[in-house]
Amino acid sequence: MIKTTKSGIPGFDELTSTDEFPGGIPLSRTTLIYGPPKTGKTIFANQFTYDGLENKLPCLYITADQGIKQLTMSMMEFNWFLQSYIESGDIYIIDGISQLGGVKLDDSVNYKTTTIGNPAELMIKVGIGSRYVYRKCPDFRSVLDSTTTMFAFNPEQMVLRVLNAYIRRNNEAGGAGLMTYTEGSTTDKTEQQLLSLFDNLIRMDGDTITIKSEYNQSENPDNFKSVYSIGEKGIVVDH
Amino acid sequence: MKKTHIPKLDDFLGGGVPKGSSLLFSAVPGVECEAFGYQILNGFMEDGNKGFIFTNVAEPSNITYEFSRYGWDLETRIKQGEAFFIDGASSFIGMPPDGKYIINNHEDVYEMVKKAIKDVEDGVGIINNLSTLIDYNDPDEIIPLIKGWNEEASKRGTVLVYLFTEWDYKPDLIESIRECFDCVVSLNSIEERVIIGQGFMVTSASWTKPQTHMVLFFIMQPGGVKIYIPKILVTGPYNAGKSSFVKAISQKSVSVDRMALEKFPTTIAMDIGHLDHGGFVADIFGTPGQERFDLMLDILAKEAVGAFILIDSSAPQTFARAKEMINKTHSEAIPNIIVANKQDLEGALSPEQIRQKMNLNDKIPILPTVVTAKTDVKQALDTLLKHLYG
Repeated sequence: MIKTTKSGIPGFDELTSTDEFPGGIPLSRTTLIYGPPKTGKTIFANQFTYDGLENKLPCLYITADQGIKQLTMSMMEFNWFLQSYIESGDIYIIDGISQLGGVKLDDSVNYKTTTIGNPAELMIKVGIGSRYVYRKCPDFRSVLDSTTTMFAFNPEQMVLRVLNAYIRRNNEAGGAGLMTYTEGSTTDKTEQQLLSLFDNLIRMDGDTITIKSEYNQSENPDNFKSVYSIGEKGIVVDH
Repeated sequence: MKKTHIPKLDDFLGGGVPKGSSLLFSAVPGVECEAFGYQILNGFMEDGNKGFIFTNVAEPSNITYEFSRYGWDLETRIKQGEAFFIDGASSFIGMPPDGKYIINNHEDVYEMVKKAIKDVEDGVGIINNLSTLIDYNDPDEIIPLIKGWNEEASKRGTVLVYLFTEWDYKPDLIESIRECFDCVVSLNSIEERVIIGQGFMVTSASWTKPQTHMVLFFIMQPGGVKIYIPKILVTGPYNAGKSSFVKAISQKSVSVDRMALEKFPTTIAMDIGHLDHGGFVADIFGTPGQERFDLMLDILAKEAVGAFILIDSSAPQTFARAKEMINKTHSEAIPNIIVANKQDLEGALSPEQIRQKMNLNDKIPILPTVVTAKTDVKQALDTLLKHLYG
């Protein structure tokens, strides 16, 4: 049976739970959250990250949309305070965007800067970061927010290659991987290729959340579909 | 011959690389590659040669900053006209370009790099990164492009160093690319769920028969590429034969022992050996087996890249302790094999019986041996090395 970890999203684990599947986010797999802009994909990823940190599950977090400062501040809007976990080393952040703005931040043990346009360097840091969080706890979490920025700065085929390598790295290490992607930000062909890399897909359209999983299937596809809302404590899925 | 200034690499290549030769550093994703190119450029400049970097992955200011992290002053070299950039990155990410040559269209890359090769005759050019070039161009165009640059470099005496990440390209494309070069250096990883070590190995060199040993390295900032002798751990319960095993696989070894019950020696601190097997060099650290020395396990196990777990096949009552020692030395997180010793004794269990008793998964190899007679010791060593290096 596939091992899972709690999503930290009220209602989500119950929605995805079946006789064969315990519900939640699978370990040794990577899940893609996708949908139109501003539908809560980043909030989902951050809620998942923070839930892990509160439960002593370390996280490798690659931020490509927001620099570390913006990330910390946007999480604070939901009362998710990252700073203490940065200091304790429970979160390992790879910041792919701050350098692009010309900011020269110093690296630390668990904070690394890179350029999102340099996929080879990003993968090196993913390798080091995976080892770091794996040694803290084999049931670690791994988040990449978002792949959309990577597509904006690199040839699309190259990004697919990198994501493929990243998924392999995460799955071999046994972590619960989560990536986000904004629909329509690449060509249709690339988008199809991207979706085909994942065996667990979560689509959020602003009202409805739909989960499509290759290993957790139901005769009735509506079983993994529900409405959700975003409040001051994050996302809540109706169940 | 020109020196690469990468430790060990010049020795492997018969003293360095000939003028005008082309080198490919081919890395599996996740293994550090850029430092090799930057260190070669820095070394060439220290030897009084000129050089350039073609970049399509990071803006020149970021690379200059990266150089400073290694302790190398690229900025002054550029000001003094010893080095320059071909900036093939900035224009594509909306940053102000900065370099002697600026790429605004991918079609211009070929001619610009050719000009640069001519500008640094007898010097060096670093192509960072070949992988990104492939995805910006038609795959059919990449081989003629590499061959054209390499021909120009050969004519001008310029050494060309390409940095390449082996993403999931078709194997025949990778093969065709490798065939374009005078020398290929493979950069590989040692993995056990996560990357625990990195190594380089010369795969081919047209001017010499290279030594093809794998050399483990790490990257220091400041410092650059540093090689190190890997550490292999030998652990297991009391009286399983660890010290004998360290002696059997090492050319040189020493044990810190004392007589147990005044009858036979038992290790009270550690065994240390040095192994040189088929070009693979390693330090061997053997742990004591008695519980009262467990405080040393963590220290002895630190940074090990592989582990032998010694067990006495005729003493199943010690298997629980063996599992405890695997946990205490974190040996499950590095490539490891079980050496089922004392197979000559009455009541010795078979590998399958041991697997069942110890509840080990099928992936962990169990090698039956008689260490004192050196039976199958070499096989145990080969199995771990194969596990380490694939």
